Amino acid sequence: MDVARLRESFARVAMHGDELPLFFYSDLFIKHPEVRDLFPVSMATQRGHFVDALVKIVSRADSVDDLTAFLQGLGRDHRKFGAVAEHYDAVGSSLLATIQHFSGPAWTPELAADWRAAYELIASVMTTAAAADEQRQPAWWRGTVVASERRAFDVCVLFVRPEPRMDYLPGQSVAIETPSRAKLWRYYSMANAPRPDGMLEFHIRLIDGGAVSMALTSDAIVDTELRLGPPVGALTLSQPSSGRDLLLVAGSTGLAPLKAILDQVTALPQPPKVHLFFGARTADGLYDLDSLEKMAAQHPWLAVTSAVSADPRFEGETGSLPDVVARHGDWSGHEAYLAGPTEMVQEAVTRLASAGLAKDHIHIEDFGWSEP
Amino acid sequence: MTTVQFDGTWLGGEGRLTPEELQTVTFPVSRLGRRGYEEEPVRAFLRVVHGEFVRLVNERSSLWQEVQRLRRRILAGEVDGNDPQAVLFGEQDAHVHAVRILSTAQVTADRYVADAQAYSSRVTEEARLRRDEIVRQAQQHSDMILEDAHARAREAAVSALNLPASPQTDREQRAAQAELAYLRTYSDVYRSHLRAYTEGILRGIDEWERKEAASFQEAAAAQEAAAVQEAAPGQVNQLPGHVNHRSIGR
Repeated sequence: MDVARLRESFARVAMHGDELPLFFYSDLFIKHPEVRDLFPVSMATQRGHFVDALVKIVSRADSVDDLTAFLQGLGRDHRKFGAVAEHYDAVGSSLLATIQHFSGPAWTPELAADWRAAYELIASVMTTAAAADEQRQPAWWRGTVVASERRAFDVCVLFVRPEPRMDYLPGQSVAIETPSRAKLWRYYSMANAPRPDGMLEFHIRLIDGGAVSMALTSDAIVDTELRLGPPVGALTLSQPSSGRDLLLVAGSTGLAPLKAILDQVTALPQPPKVHLFFGARTADGLYDLDSLEKMAAQHPWLAVTSAVSADPRFEGETGSLPDVVARHGDWSGHEAYLAGPTEMVQEAVTRLASAGLAKDHIHIEDFGWSEP
Repeated sequence: MTTVQFDGTWLGGEGRLTPEELQTVTFPVSRLGRRGYEEEPVRAFLRVVHGEFVRLVNERSSLWQEVQRLRRRILAGEVDGNDPQAVLFGEQDAHVHAVRILSTAQVTADRYVADAQAYSSRVTEEARLRRDEIVRQAQQHSDMILEDAHARAREAAVSALNLPASPQTDREQRAAQAELAYLRTYSDVYRSHLRAYTEGILRGIDEWERKEAASFQEAAAAQEAAAVQEAAPGQVNQLPGHVNHRSIGR
């Protein structure tokens, strides 16, 4: 297998942009119509993911460990979409047909052999990882929505009972699919540590035009059966515990993973000191403040500060959450966990780092390749 | 969807502009006091450019595929000079044709979904802004009511204090009277504002009810008229569904 030749070939066909995945999926669906059911109505995002994955694979072809880890993740991740071993052959043949189609006269038997060998390698790493994962956990969990509480005009808290029971680390997330938005998966964090009754709590904010969040915040969601992917994410308490006090910074529904961590800390024999900052745009966006303040009243080790960024009438801290956190003093001896809108999190990370908190002690959500 | 902010240089992925980037591009807002374009016409124009762009990209790709197909057939030496049909409808090309047809259908479906999503996004955003505005106005209104009540109650208290005091009236009693006057006026003013406010809301509900009843009547009348028209042969100049739709939409 000649990696340089493959790269050159890929660069040539990649020039055709969106046409490449468009041809690939049409070819696949004509030859194997049953595979179409695994995909959403709109394929626009899917085509982007397909090309991104190809680009990643080609660019990492030299660093085997890196590439293997990426492909193993990809293989495990595809289980919840309903991908099985037979699909890999179908995909391989359509991939080759696509590259041949766009290569024009540059397509030679040697190049065809190279691509076939490369794909077989990719597919075997992915299917092996998927098979190993199958021994460990289901491809997805059935999750019945037991209750939905509307906490703000655009925030709902859902209580979901998974079947079978799901084990996860507090701070992790699962991809969720609703029956009314088939094949669209979105990540949400559990907002509680695993409970004896197995119940999961999710905090859902309605995103403008967000297909899945709209379905999840609708009143009709109660009693529906969701599909939950396996728990992922590394925003979890370091084990063994670093012994440092905790700083938790939550913007809007970014509270969910941090509340799960808080839940976990509560059960520790000797909880560290925890300072939780909870921010939103307006006061009614502080949708879970009551329960947080109740916890703070119960536990002397917990302090809760709420802040609002766009409501000067608010009778508490006002300003952007990173500002408010910075105003509250020196965090350089803490272990910091942050979640919320990307810009807010990045700004807070920058501020904490420049105030002397080492990167190792700053934890943020990182979905990596797992983003659907 | 990621948003690209255009800063005058460009460009995103591999230096080539894509239709998606046209849909998501934003421009920095001009500094206060400087002239700039109205945002909405610029957006509208971008939508037109986007539509045209998609059409051109699709056209170009189908032409490119056609060229490839013809080239393949010529290279394969399959061309029979006496039979132009062989070039146009070769059996081997059936699959590529099918792929192209399915691709076009898929892109159309993608566009419907994207349009629906953009529309729902716009509607939700507008609803959110309106809600913020209504809440803001209500807060302002309640501030005003409270302020007014305070001011008038203060006046009443001051005038109560300034009443000529009889010798046996001690200061405490005068203070109590002032307090009483303050509270009485405060609650009077507050009550009358609250009454006016509530009446306003009730008027709004009446109006709503009245309009709804009127539009139902109108719709029923239109339906009747349509039924009559439908029954009369030769008078099919207006479709019943059309009449119905118009009157409800009003």
